[in-house]
Amino acid sequence: MTTLFGRLHDFVAALRAAGIRVSVGETMDAMRAVAAVGLWPGPMREALAAALVKDEADRPLFDRIFDRCFSSAASRGKSGQPAGATDPQAAGQGRAGASSCGEKAPSRAPDHANADHPRFKGKAAPAPRRHADPHALHSLSGRDELSAARGIPAGVQPSPPTRGEAPAAADRAAPFEDAQPGWAARAARMRALELKPFAAYTEVDYAAAREALEKLRRLFQTRPGRRLARASFGQLDFRRTIRAGLQRGGVMAELKMRARRPDHAELLLLADLSGSVRYAAELALELIAALGRCFRRLQAFAYVDRLSEASFERGYLVLTPPLDLYARSDFGLVLEQLWRELGPTLNRQTVVVILGDGRNNRRPPRLELLRALGERCRAVVWLSPEPRERWGIGDSALLQYAREVDALVSCENLRQLSSALVRLPRHKAAGSRAVAGRHRPAFWQSAKAGFALP
Amino acid sequence: MDVTPEFVSEGLSRARYVTNQRVETAVFLALALDKPLLIEGPAGVGKTEVAKVLAELLDAELIRLQCYEGLDQAHALYEWNYQKQLLRIQTDQRQGLNWDEVRQHIFSADYLLERPLLKAITTPHRAVLLIDEVDKADEEFEAFLLELLSDFQVTVPELGTIRATKAPAAVLTSNRARELSEALRRRCLYLFIDFPGVEQERRIIELKVPGMEARLAAEVARFVNALRKLELRKPPSIAEALDWARALLRLRLKELEAQSIRSTLGLLLKHEEDRARAEARVGALLGRS
Repeated sequence: MTTLFGRLHDFVAALRAAGIRVSVGETMDAMRAVAAVGLWPGPMREALAAALVKDEADRPLFDRIFDRCFSSAASRGKSGQPAGATDPQAAGQGRAGASSCGEKAPSRAPDHANADHPRFKGKAAPAPRRHADPHALHSLSGRDELSAARGIPAGVQPSPPTRGEAPAAADRAAPFEDAQPGWAARAARMRALELKPFAAYTEVDYAAAREALEKLRRLFQTRPGRRLARASFGQLDFRRTIRAGLQRGGVMAELKMRARRPDHAELLLLADLSGSVRYAAELALELIAALGRCFRRLQAFAYVDRLSEASFERGYLVLTPPLDLYARSDFGLVLEQLWRELGPTLNRQTVVVILGDGRNNRRPPRLELLRALGERCRAVVWLSPEPRERWGIGDSALLQYAREVDALVSCENLRQLSSALVRLPRHKAAGSRAVAGRHRPAFWQSAKAGFALP
Repeated sequence: MDVTPEFVSEGLSRARYVTNQRVETAVFLALALDKPLLIEGPAGVGKTEVAKVLAELLDAELIRLQCYEGLDQAHALYEWNYQKQLLRIQTDQRQGLNWDEVRQHIFSADYLLERPLLKAITTPHRAVLLIDEVDKADEEFEAFLLELLSDFQVTVPELGTIRATKAPAAVLTSNRARELSEALRRRCLYLFIDFPGVEQERRIIELKVPGMEARLAAEVARFVNALRKLELRKPPSIAEALDWARALLRLRLKELEAQSIRSTLGLLLKHEEDRARAEARVGALLGRS
C-alpha cells in the first residue's frame, strides 16, 4: 500500500510543481477517491481529476502529468485496446459491463473483469510493493506486478511519453468524442485578460477587453440596482408598521421596512488619457457610463493638460472639445481649470474619482486645489493604474496627491478596476448603519483608516 | 444503501441521462465520499439535470436553492414566522403566562420558517440539495456557504446548533459569471460538463424525442454540433437542440435541407446576429455535416 500512497504523493507533487494548486485536504480526498473507485485506469483518472483539478483550464496539464506518472495504466488504454476503459462510450454504456469491454477488446484477458473491477477496492487490488522512484516518475517501479495482476504480459513496456504524445493524450481525455474546448478556454482567456496589468496592454488586448466589458457592463447595470432595491431587510419603518397594525386591531402583524433609497450622490470622473494609462482610462470611462442611473448626476471628463467632456456615442469615445493626446500631461493645470469652471457646482454630494498616474512632467502639482476640492466634496478617490512600486518614482507626484485624497486605490488590471467602480454607489448614510455589518463599507469610508494610503 | 459505481451508472441510464465516464465517476465519488459536487460548464448542457437525476437515483427529495444577486440568509436558511409568533403572544397573554413560558413557545421549531438550506439539513431522510448558479450570489453568501458545506450544520441563536442527521448530497452549479473562491472549490469535488459530441447528442435526441428516425437524429446532432463551432454569442444548448428536433418531427421532415433549416433556425439561435451569421453559412454547415 505504501507504494501506491507514495506514488499518489509524487503525482500531487508533480501537479504542484506544474503550478496547479493542490491543498492537503484535496490530496486526502484524492486518496479516498482512488480507494473508492479502485485502480481502474479510466475511473482512476476521472476520480483524481474530480478531487484535484478545480478548474477546467488545468485539465490538459493534469492529463499530461497523469500519463507521465501512471504511464503503464495510460499506455494500456493507448496501445492495448482501441475501445478500452478510457473510451467514454464503452464506459457510458454501463459498467456492469466490464465484460462488454472484454468483448470489444479481446486482447484484454477475461479475468480482468475481476481484477480490474471497480468494486475490487484498494485492499485487494494488487499494489506494487516497491517505492516509486521520485526522480523518474514515468518509469514506474512495480509496473510488472501491476501488469501481471491485470493479465498483461510483463514484457509489454509502455514507451516513455514523448512530446508529440501530449496533445493526443489531451484529446483522448476529452469528455466526448469531439467535444469543443471552447468554453473552458474562453473562460481561461477571460480570466487572464482580467488579470493582465494595464501597463502591458496592446491594442489587441484593448479590443478584447472592450468585448469583455460587455459582460461587466451588464453586471454593472444590474448589480448596484438590485442591491439598492432590496428593501425587505434593513431598518424598520416604525410609523408604517403601526399604521398597518391598526388594520389588525393594533397587532403589528406586518413589518414594514424602510425602503433603501440610492444615495443622492453626484459622480465626477476625471480620467487621464495620456500615455500608458490610456487603456485603463478608456475602459473606466466606458464602464462608468453604465453606472449612470445609480447617481443623481454623472459627469465624465478626460484630461491630458486640460479637461474635455467624455461621452460614448455608438461605442466610440467622443471628446468635446477635442483633446491633444500627445500634449505634455499636467494635472495641476487640469485642477485649476476644474476649480475655475466646475468649482461652483461641486458640493457635499459630489464624489470625485480621479484615474491617472499623477505624472506631471515636474510642473506644479497644485496640491492646495486638490485639498480645497476635498473640503468641498464628499470624497475624492484616486484610482492608480500604475503598479504600486512605481508610485512616486520619477516625475510622479502621486504620493503628494495621495496625502490630499480620501483613498488611493490600486487598479492595475480590469478586475481591480471594475471591483473598485462597482462599489461606488451605496445607500443613504442613515440607512446603511443598520446593514453595516453585512455590507462592506464603501471603500472611501475605510480609507481614512489606512485602507490604501501609503 | 451501499453506493457502488454500477449503482450510479445504472441509475443514471435508468433516469435516461446520457453520460460519460467523467460524469459517472464524479457523481459516484460525491456520494461515496459525502462531498459536495461543483459542476461547471456552459449554459444548457444539463448541469442542473444532474441534481434532478441524482434525486431520482437516490429516491430522495430534491431541495433547490436558486441563487441570485442579493440572496441573503433569511431567504436561504431560515426566518422566524413573525405573524405567528405575535398571535401566540396574544393568546398567551390572555392566559396570563409569564415571559419564560411565552419565550419557550415562540422560539421553537414551530415558528421557524425553514428555507432550503435548513430544510436540507433537518430532513430526516437523505435529501439532494441543489444550489443552482452559485456564481450569481454575492461573495458574502459564498463565504457563508463554506461553513455549511464542510460541516452540514447551522446555528440558530435561539435554538442552538442544528446538525444534519444525514448529510444531504449537495450539488452546486456555476456558469462562471464570476470566479468562485478557491476556498469553495477546495471543499468540493469538481466536474466540468461540456457540450456533447455528435454521437452523444444523437443518443440524447433519440432518447428524448421518440419517433425520431436514427438518420435524421444523427443529421440534427451533426448540424447542431457544427453550429456550435461557429463563434456565436450564445451557442445552442441541448434543450434547444431537442426543441428543434421536435419541431422537425412535427414538420414531418425526412432529411435536413437548407430551406427548412433557415425557417426553423429561430428555435436554435436566440440572437439576431447569431441567426444572420448562421443563416449565411447553412449550406456550408450542411455540406460539412
